[in-house]
Amino acid sequence: MKTRKTDKTVGTSQIGSGTKTDRSFASVVLGPVWLWQLLSLCTVFGIWEIAGRIPISLAFPSFTATCAAFFEMIMDGSFATAYASTLPPLIIGILIVSFGGVAWGVFMGLSRGFEWTCMSLLVILQTAPVAAIVPLITYAYGIDMTSKVIVVVIMSAPLVILNSYKGIRSTNPSLLQMCRSFQGNRWQEITKIILPQASGMIFAGLRLGISGGFIGIVLAELLITPTGIGDLITYNRASALYAHMFAAIASIIIFSTLTLTVLQRLEHKIFRPELGTMSGQVN
Amino acid sequence: MKRILHGILVAVFAVAFTLSLGAFRAAAQDTVRVATADTLGAEDLVLLIAFEKAKARGLKIEVTPFKSDDVVFQAIVNGQMDIGVGDAYKMIQTLKAPIRHFYQLRRLAYFPVVNKEYYKTWKDLDGEDIAVHSRGSGTEALARLMESMHGIKFKRMTYVPGSEVRAISMRRGNIKATYLDLTRTRLLTTEDPERFGVLPAGNQSASDEILYATTDFLKESEDAIDIIVEEVMRAARRMNADPTSMAAERERLDLLAELPKEINEEITLYHQQAAMAGLFPPNGGGKGAASADFEFLTSSGRLEGDAKSLDVGEFWELGPLNKALAKMGYVNVEYSISAR
Repeated sequence: MKTRKTDKTVGTSQIGSGTKTDRSFASVVLGPVWLWQLLSLCTVFGIWEIAGRIPISLAFPSFTATCAAFFEMIMDGSFATAYASTLPPLIIGILIVSFGGVAWGVFMGLSRGFEWTCMSLLVILQTAPVAAIVPLITYAYGIDMTSKVIVVVIMSAPLVILNSYKGIRSTNPSLLQMCRSFQGNRWQEITKIILPQASGMIFAGLRLGISGGFIGIVLAELLITPTGIGDLITYNRASALYAHMFAAIASIIIFSTLTLTVLQRLEHKIFRPELGTMSGQVN
Repeated sequence: MKRILHGILVAVFAVAFTLSLGAFRAAAQDTVRVATADTLGAEDLVLLIAFEKAKARGLKIEVTPFKSDDVVFQAIVNGQMDIGVGDAYKMIQTLKAPIRHFYQLRRLAYFPVVNKEYYKTWKDLDGEDIAVHSRGSGTEALARLMESMHGIKFKRMTYVPGSEVRAISMRRGNIKATYLDLTRTRLLTTEDPERFGVLPAGNQSASDEILYATTDFLKESEDAIDIIVEEVMRAARRMNADPTSMAAERERLDLLAELPKEINEEITLYHQQAAMAGLFPPNGGGKGAASADFEFLTSSGRLEGDAKSLDVGEFWELGPLNKALAKMGYVNVEYSISAR
């Protein structure tokens, strides 16, 4: 047991130092990472600008036209009004999933009977094409905020529940045995061993769930009632204001990317500090 | 031996692929591809019957339903479809798209349906919510016109796409006032006349569906366009003269076969009301329709500029319609739009 622990420590330190050496070698030869990231963005935006100027289609705006529309929509308050309408159902849905979904997943991981009852339903929910389910939700719950919250929950719940469940199930059995050998009861087993061990995966599930929630709210706003960001997309598309439509789409992409990046960095800081910020950028 | 067989197989596949690609292209060029903005239903029978007649005159026509007007426009402007059914005024003005309307198929007919337990007149709607299709839609434009016509101000316009969804919401009580198409208006007011009623909407003759195509297609396929315009005009006139003939024609030509047989009664009722309301103009719109559209679209803010200063030639190609009218004559009619 002692030997194994030593091996593991050595292995980890070797991997750590190897990564550090690779990174410093790469930064000497290739230059800073941000430069490559900037280059990749410039390439994509450059191709977009050229495609928009040719134009490949009358309905395809250039990158600069989209940027101009983006700033115009910030200044005239379009984005502020739209997000004031988009965020409430998104936040409510995510809060429901964050508490209910995690509890559900933890309980599934702890109880075989509950796992067998729920697993098939969750797998169906995860694989079902939600765009096809949305009209059914409208028929059952109407067109108001309830339907949108339900779409957000349907999109994000399976990810949160299944990750929480897997986190619980992947608890190291030797730690459980250790807890039992120290006369630990079931409650201590859960609170001192299982939950701390699963917390990383639960947090990763939450992050994925929020990403699903963003997809859900955009789907809901496009398919149920065009409000918020969905209204900006629909209205500008119907009015042939394609630069504004692209700007609205870009805004939700930027918003969800920033939210998820912050969460990913938080996750790495709390649960995987050995990876540092670099892994946050490449993962 | 194995190598030779492999070579032969590759050659056969290459030839078959090239031939099928060529045949596909040829077929695509011969066929007039028509894009509609919704699934085909009873209200499309005039167009479908016209297409069957055009096919009998040697044209190949293929109709594809899309999800919305803007997708239809994308398909036309990118050359994946030839004729669009809807309207492209805003796109022509904003993008200077080389597209022209050439035939007014159907006039706009949406009716202000209210829950009579709450509202009985337009004045009752002052400071209240109304549901319309979407921002910038025809129903929103109609609601704005009513605001100015009756000196009222709606508290909020909620956007609920699709007449069928709004009709369901009216039944469920989620919304109390909205604009519905002819079919759903009749459905609600006949199934519960105590609860649902229609407010007076006045007269307007803006377009609901116009046929449009790129200027290149209009030039290159002049003969095909002439046949289509003549046949649509003939079908519209026949429907106006005898609305009951539509159900019989549908059966004879085996159109909309997926709809149940019992729908024939609905089809007849719809076309009788459409004929009374003049939904399918017998002269294909033209300059008059364009002017009415300019008036309607500028007053509702969907088109920029003064209605009188807009040039019909920038939005319409009148050649095919004038040729058809010269051949088939002009019909004088007076209609009044009403849900009953």
